[in-house]
Amino acid sequence: MDYTIWSVGLIFLLPFMAFVVNTVIVKRFTTLAVGISCSAIFGSFLLSLRIFSDFQNKFAADYHIHKVFNWMNLSGGDQTFVVDMGVYIDNMGSIMLLMVTGVAFLIHIFSTFYMRDDARYGRFFVYLSLFTSAMLGLVLSDNLLSFFIFWELMGFCSYSLIGFYYEKNEAGDASIKAFMTTRIGDVFFLLGILAIWSVVGNVTFVDIYRFIGENGFVGKTADLSFFGTVIGIPLATFAGLAIFMGTIGKSAQFPLQVWLPDAMMGPTPCSALIHAATMVAAGVYLSLRMYPLMEAGNLNYFIAIIGGITAFGAATIALIQTDIKAVLAYSTISQLGYMVLGIGVGSYTAAFMHLITHAVFKACLFLSAGSVIHSLHDHHTHEHVQEMPRMGGLRKKMPFTFWAMMFCTLAITGAPFFSGFVSKDRILGDAAVQLVNGWKWYIPAILGYGGAFLTAFYMFRMMFLTFFGEPRDKELYDHMHTEHFSWNQNLPLLVLSVFTFGAWYCGSFTGQSIAKVPGVQNKEWFSTLVTKPDVNNFTHYQKQPWEKVDKKSDLVFEKSHYDASHGLEEKEAHRVHHVHVIGAIVSVFIFLGGLLMAMMMYYWKKWNPGRWTSAFSFWYRALQNKYYMDDLYIKIIIQKGLLNLNNFLAFLDMGIYDRYAVDGMAKVNSWAFKVCRWFDDVIVDTVVVDGTGASVRIFNVVLRTFQSGKIQFYIFMILFVMVGYIWQLNI
Amino acid sequence: MSLFWYLSVSFVLFFCGIAVMIARKNIIAILLGIELILNAAALNFAAYTRFLNQNLDGHIMSLFIIIIAAAEAAVGLAIVIRFYQIRESIHIDDATQLQH
Repeated sequence: MDYTIWSVGLIFLLPFMAFVVNTVIVKRFTTLAVGISCSAIFGSFLLSLRIFSDFQNKFAADYHIHKVFNWMNLSGGDQTFVVDMGVYIDNMGSIMLLMVTGVAFLIHIFSTFYMRDDARYGRFFVYLSLFTSAMLGLVLSDNLLSFFIFWELMGFCSYSLIGFYYEKNEAGDASIKAFMTTRIGDVFFLLGILAIWSVVGNVTFVDIYRFIGENGFVGKTADLSFFGTVIGIPLATFAGLAIFMGTIGKSAQFPLQVWLPDAMMGPTPCSALIHAATMVAAGVYLSLRMYPLMEAGNLNYFIAIIGGITAFGAATIALIQTDIKAVLAYSTISQLGYMVLGIGVGSYTAAFMHLITHAVFKACLFLSAGSVIHSLHDHHTHEHVQEMPRMGGLRKKMPFTFWAMMFCTLAITGAPFFSGFVSKDRILGDAAVQLVNGWKWYIPAILGYGGAFLTAFYMFRMMFLTFFGEPRDKELYDHMHTEHFSWNQNLPLLVLSVFTFGAWYCGSFTGQSIAKVPGVQNKEWFSTLVTKPDVNNFTHYQKQPWEKVDKKSDLVFEKSHYDASHGLEEKEAHRVHHVHVIGAIVSVFIFLGGLLMAMMMYYWKKWNPGRWTSAFSFWYRALQNKYYMDDLYIKIIIQKGLLNLNNFLAFLDMGIYDRYAVDGMAKVNSWAFKVCRWFDDVIVDTVVVDGTGASVRIFNVVLRTFQSGKIQFYIFMILFVMVGYIWQLNI
Repeated sequence: MSLFWYLSVSFVLFFCGIAVMIARKNIIAILLGIELILNAAALNFAAYTRFLNQNLDGHIMSLFIIIIAAAEAAVGLAIVIRFYQIRESIHIDDATQLQH
C-alpha cells in the first residue's frame, strides 16, 4: 500500500484542523463545531483503520513505515546540525492509532450526550479535538523531540479539561496540581532527551536503537561504557532513568501518582479519554518505545518495583473509596502499574497488550460511570451524585449501562475469556518467570498477584454497591428515569464492551498462516506483531524521505528475530510455558477469591465491612489519607521545604539582588548620568552645537546681503560675473 | 562694412536691454528691454550667416526669433494685465509673492 504525507499526516491534521476551525466558530455555531469535531475524528479513525488493515495483511513483525522530512537545517561550515521530523509507524503504532482514534471517536459520541446541557458544550469539544490531535501526533512521532512537543500539548489539554468547571475551587486546584506534578516528570524527560542527544547526535527512535545496537549492546548484558557517564552514573542508566521519570509523571506511577485521583474533577468523558485511555497510557508507550534503552541501562528491576508498588498500593486505596470515579481513578493507577511492571519484567508484548485492553475497558468503565452519574440528579442541591452509598439497585433502571459495565469489570478483574485475563495474566506470568533470577524478583511478582486479588475485590465491590441490592437513597432512585436505549448514550458503551472479549486479541484477523513465520510460539496476531525492537536490526537502517514514496521503500527487514519466548533456549521455553500455565490457573483462583470476598461482603452481606475497618483501623485511616502521600507532599515537602526555599529565594531576590545589585546599579547609573549631563551641557551643547551655529552666523551676515530676493539685482550680479569672467579671459 | 560693426550694434543693443532690465522698475519697460535683447540676438544670427556661412539658416533663425518675441510680448503683456488687476500696480517691487 502506498503511503503519502496526506494519508498518514491527515490522521493528525484532521482533529487539529477541527480544533483551529472550532476555536473560531464555537461561540456562534456550537452544533456545527461539535459536528466538525466528531467528523474529524471519524476521518482519522478511517485512515487508521486503513493503516491497521495494511499492517494486518503484511503480517510481519518488522514491517513499518518511516518517513522523514527536514525540519531545521542549521548546518554551517563543517558543522552539521540537522533536525528531522517524521512519521514512524510500526505494528505497535498501527494498533495504538486504531485504539486512540476508535476510543476517542466513541467518547466524542458519548460527549454529545453527556455535555449537551453544559454551558461550555462547544468549548469541551475544542479541547477534545486539540487533545486527540496531540495524542495522534505523539503516536506518529518518529523522534523524542516531537514526541515531547505533543506530550506537553497533551499536558496542557489535561490541565484545561481538569479545570473545566473552573467555578469550583477544587477543579482549579486539581488542574494546577496535575500540571505541576507531571511537570516534575517532564523536566526529567527533557533532561533524558538532551542526554541522548549528547551521545547519539539525534533523538530519532531508530537512531537510538541503532546506536545501542552498534555499540556492543547484545542480549541482556549491557555494555555501559559506550555511553560515558553523568555524575558517575552510566549515561544509559541516567538517560533511561530520566525518561522513565517522564513515564512516572505522566502515567501516575508511585511517587507522583497523587495528581490522577484529583484529576477526576474534570468532566467524565475527559476522564475516560485522557485520564484512563490515552494520555496516561502515553507514558507507558514512551517506556515501550525506549525499551532498548531501559534494558541497556539495567533499569528492569527498578521499573518492575515501581510498577509493583503502584499496582498494589493504588489497589489498596481503591478498596475504601466511596466515590465511583475515585475507585476508577485508583484502578487506573493500579492498571498502569501493571503495564510498568510488565515493562520491568521484560514482558514487552503483554505490557502493550494490557495498554490496549485497559484503554478499551477503562474507557468503557468511565463512560458507564458517567452514564450513572448523569442519571442521578439530586433535586435539592441540583448536582449529580457520584457517591456509591447513595446508589444501589440501579440494575433495573439502567440495564444497558449495567451490562456494559459488567463486561468491563469482568475484563479488568481478569475473568477467563476476557481481555484482561489475556493481557494482565501474561504480565503476571512473565513476572513469575523472573523468579529464577533471584529472590528480589519475588517482590514485584507478589505485589502483582496481590494487586490482582484486590482488583477483583474492589471492582466487584463497586458493581455490587452501584447496581445490586436495594436503593439506599429512595428519593434519588424514584426521581431517576428508566434508561431507554439512545445512540449517543449507550451505543459507545456497548461497542466498547464488545471489545472486552479476549478473542479479539488472540488468533488472527486475516487468517494468514502464522506457522510460516519462523520461531513463533504464541499463535496470536498480537504477540507475533508486537515484539521487542531488536537493536541489531537497525545497523544498516536507511531513512526514507517523503519524496521517495513507493512500495519498495516500505521496508521489511530480511533478517528477522522473533523473540516471543524471551530469547531463551527451547528447554527454557518449555519452562516458561509451564510457568505461564500455572500462573494462569493461579490468576483464575485469585479472581474467584476476590469475587467471593466481594460477594460475601456486599452481595450476601455475610461479612460486615464495618467490622473489618474497625479491626484494621490503623490501615483504614492510612488508606483514607492515601498513605499520607498528599500530606507528605503538601505539609512537609512543600510547606517545610519548598516554601522555605521560596522564602529564602524571595529574600535573596528582594534583600540582596534588588537592594544591592539593582538599587546599587541605579546609584551607579545616577552618578554616570550626572557626568554625562555635564558633558552634554558643556561640551556638546555649548561648544559643538552652539559653536557650529555661531560660526555659521558669521557667514550668514555676509551672504544675506546677496540674497535680496530682487530679480533685477540677480541679473545685475550675473552681468557683473559675466563681465568679470570675460575680462579674466583677456579677450 | 565688416562683421565687427554688426556685432558692435548688437552688443550695444544687448547692453541697452540689460540696462533697462536692471534699472527700470516698470514691468512694461522691462519687457521692452527683453525685446531689445532678443533683437540683438536676431541681429547676431543675421550678421554671422551673412559673413561666415553664406546660406539662409541664420535668416530663418532671425525670423523665428521675431515670431517668438511677438508671442512672448503677448504673453508678457497678458501677465502684466493680470498683475495689474490683482495688485493695481505695474511696479516690479510689488511682485513679491514668490519671495516669501
